[in-house]
Amino acid sequence: MSRQLLTGNAAAAWGARLADVDYIPAFPITPQTEIIETLAAWSQAGELPGRFVTFDGEHSMLTAAGAAAAAGARTFTATSSQGLLFGMESLYTISGWRVPLVLVNVSRGLSAPITLGPDHNDVLAARDAGFVQIHAETCQEVLDSILMGYRIAEDRRVSVPVLVNLDGFYLSFTREPVDVPDEAAVREFLPPFDFEHLGFRASRPIAQGVAVLEGATYSHFRYQMHRAIQNAAAVHAEATVEFSRLFGRSYAAIEQYRVEDADTVLVMAGSFAAKGKAAVDQWRADGRRVGLLRLRVVRPFPAAELAAALSGRRAVGVIDQNLSPGVGGIFCQELAAALYSVPDRPPVLRSFVTGLGGKDISQSEFDHVLSVLDAAQSGDPVTDTELLMTAAEWQQVQGRLASARRPVEDNAPLPTDSDDVRAAVRAEFEDARGGVS
Amino acid sequence: MIRIRFHGRGGHGVKTASRILGTAAFLAGFETQDSPVYGAERRGAAVTAFARISETPIRERGMIAQPDLIVLADDTLLNDPAAGVLVGQETASAIFLNAADPAPLVAQYHIAPPARAFDVTARTRELLGRPSALSAGVASAAAKLCGCITEANLEAAVREEFSHLAVSPDAVTKNVEIALSVFAALEPAVLSDVPRAATAEMARVPYVDPVLGASTVYNSGNAEQRHTGAWRVERPVIDAGLCTRCGLCFVECPDGAMSLDATGLPLVDYDHCKGCMICSHVCPVDAITHQPETAAW
Repeated sequence: MSRQLLTGNAAAAWGARLADVDYIPAFPITPQTEIIETLAAWSQAGELPGRFVTFDGEHSMLTAAGAAAAAGARTFTATSSQGLLFGMESLYTISGWRVPLVLVNVSRGLSAPITLGPDHNDVLAARDAGFVQIHAETCQEVLDSILMGYRIAEDRRVSVPVLVNLDGFYLSFTREPVDVPDEAAVREFLPPFDFEHLGFRASRPIAQGVAVLEGATYSHFRYQMHRAIQNAAAVHAEATVEFSRLFGRSYAAIEQYRVEDADTVLVMAGSFAAKGKAAVDQWRADGRRVGLLRLRVVRPFPAAELAAALSGRRAVGVIDQNLSPGVGGIFCQELAAALYSVPDRPPVLRSFVTGLGGKDISQSEFDHVLSVLDAAQSGDPVTDTELLMTAAEWQQVQGRLASARRPVEDNAPLPTDSDDVRAAVRAEFEDARGGVS
Repeated sequence: MIRIRFHGRGGHGVKTASRILGTAAFLAGFETQDSPVYGAERRGAAVTAFARISETPIRERGMIAQPDLIVLADDTLLNDPAAGVLVGQETASAIFLNAADPAPLVAQYHIAPPARAFDVTARTRELLGRPSALSAGVASAAAKLCGCITEANLEAAVREEFSHLAVSPDAVTKNVEIALSVFAALEPAVLSDVPRAATAEMARVPYVDPVLGASTVYNSGNAEQRHTGAWRVERPVIDAGLCTRCGLCFVECPDGAMSLDATGLPLVDYDHCKGCMICSHVCPVDAITHQPETAAW
């Protein structure tokens, strides 16, 4: 083992390297590109025996990843944001093939407007795609989750792809100390890929992903994916025990931070949970009984663990770094469903959204969340998701909006009558053609 | 925890500086974290990088709004409000300025924290023969101001980080020399824990008309308000006496930053000229010369 300073992207590349992957289909996108650059450099230097291949886009890249896994190759690939969405059709396709592989997503807000900062709307767009989904908080967890990911994906009780998510910038470009395990120990944790039930070969032809036009049979196959991902909970727990034995680090489906005697609990995911932990530390120093739960395994959704951990608490605040327009924070909805049948469920559950496009979360915003939870009572009317933003940030937004507005006096009057509009458009068209007919 | 924020321009090496500092602190046994923020990824554009050094696990991430130390590689960034060099200076225990004498800058820009200075550019020019990347020098200034990093940690970190870059062994040796001379010339800062995070008021974001609710710029042409001329490393200067009014520079300028006056003499819009110097390359009579834009280079 060696302890090194690694970015989240470098940690992801190390995860793939230590997993001794056979095949890496690749396509660049900020903020993921450093992962495939690192793997490409190792490949060129002869340090990575697996085959590195660039593609013309994420759709073909992900299809190739699934096809390689179907042939029995241990496969790694990575993308982000628009790339994940461009490959969305392939995500559903390859999970339906029930092939194991690991896909890393480096979270980045979705267009429009286009941005580079992180939030979880990209990765949660893939939440129903039939992948096991793990969200990392630290660069160490990125590396470790990739190793655990192969073990979970390749278990025959699961046999679906695993998606490991890390936040752009906050992890992808941030260096911090990471223990890089020894190859021998990794071999013990992760034996060679046993692909007996796959192994597509020209000499052993099979038809994969065939059409199923009969609804009951189709339902069977889709429901099998649900069962497979539910099975991943136990497989993850077993992998955690073995991982802890070999490497001394342990990962539960949810991380519980200072929740022992907490009456109030925050729920967060990803790297921003570190900021939530700092807020908890500050409140604890002031004598407040507050803790934090971090969602690590997102699919399968750890409903039973969450219900057990939150049973008997007074108030829960979910801080979602995602937004489902028309609903609000996604994890809050899922948590509410998980708590529904718990007899002593927390009487107060509030939804907050922040960190979209990488917007920072200040201690003031955490303090505001706590004050809202303190004031909330059982039986309060249902409230909408609250977007966390400071007055100073909102004022800055106003300045940006003002600079984008056309001065009113510069607005040419638009024709209002529909015939006038058609005439105006026709005239413009003729004008653009320069009178050439 | 010590929070360090570096400011420079693309090419100054402040990202590398943050990595050198992070590695030095890591070698000294601390928990560390370092990261850059990329905006316009271009030589000359403002770049910010961060490092955190702590004896306990770091529960902060991302940008540092309230730094303990500000390290500035190029004082011309003080003129660029978007660079935000002095944001959060109220909590800073010290600011490092790449200058021989900090006093005029402190007075002109109302710099609040105690200022430390060293002319890294001059030392770099002296040892490397050109004002090349300043990473080793500014990283060294930060390391010394932190007060918890030894000369040996610093030297090892410079060697480690330069080993990832395509530089000659001689350049590495000279960068180590630059780092050590800056390290020897400065004193550690007196770090004080200034109380942070006064309670900020929260906003309630209302529904607004789609004109303001979508990312549409109606005020077309407002990109002019962004003075990209601040990215310039070199300034093209036209010798009107030599210029033959051929107009090639006007045609080739990729930023539309050239116009012609009534006599056909090209005029440079220095608010938007990014200093690519294509005009100078295409000038058939060498009438356009290069002038260094900032003292830091």
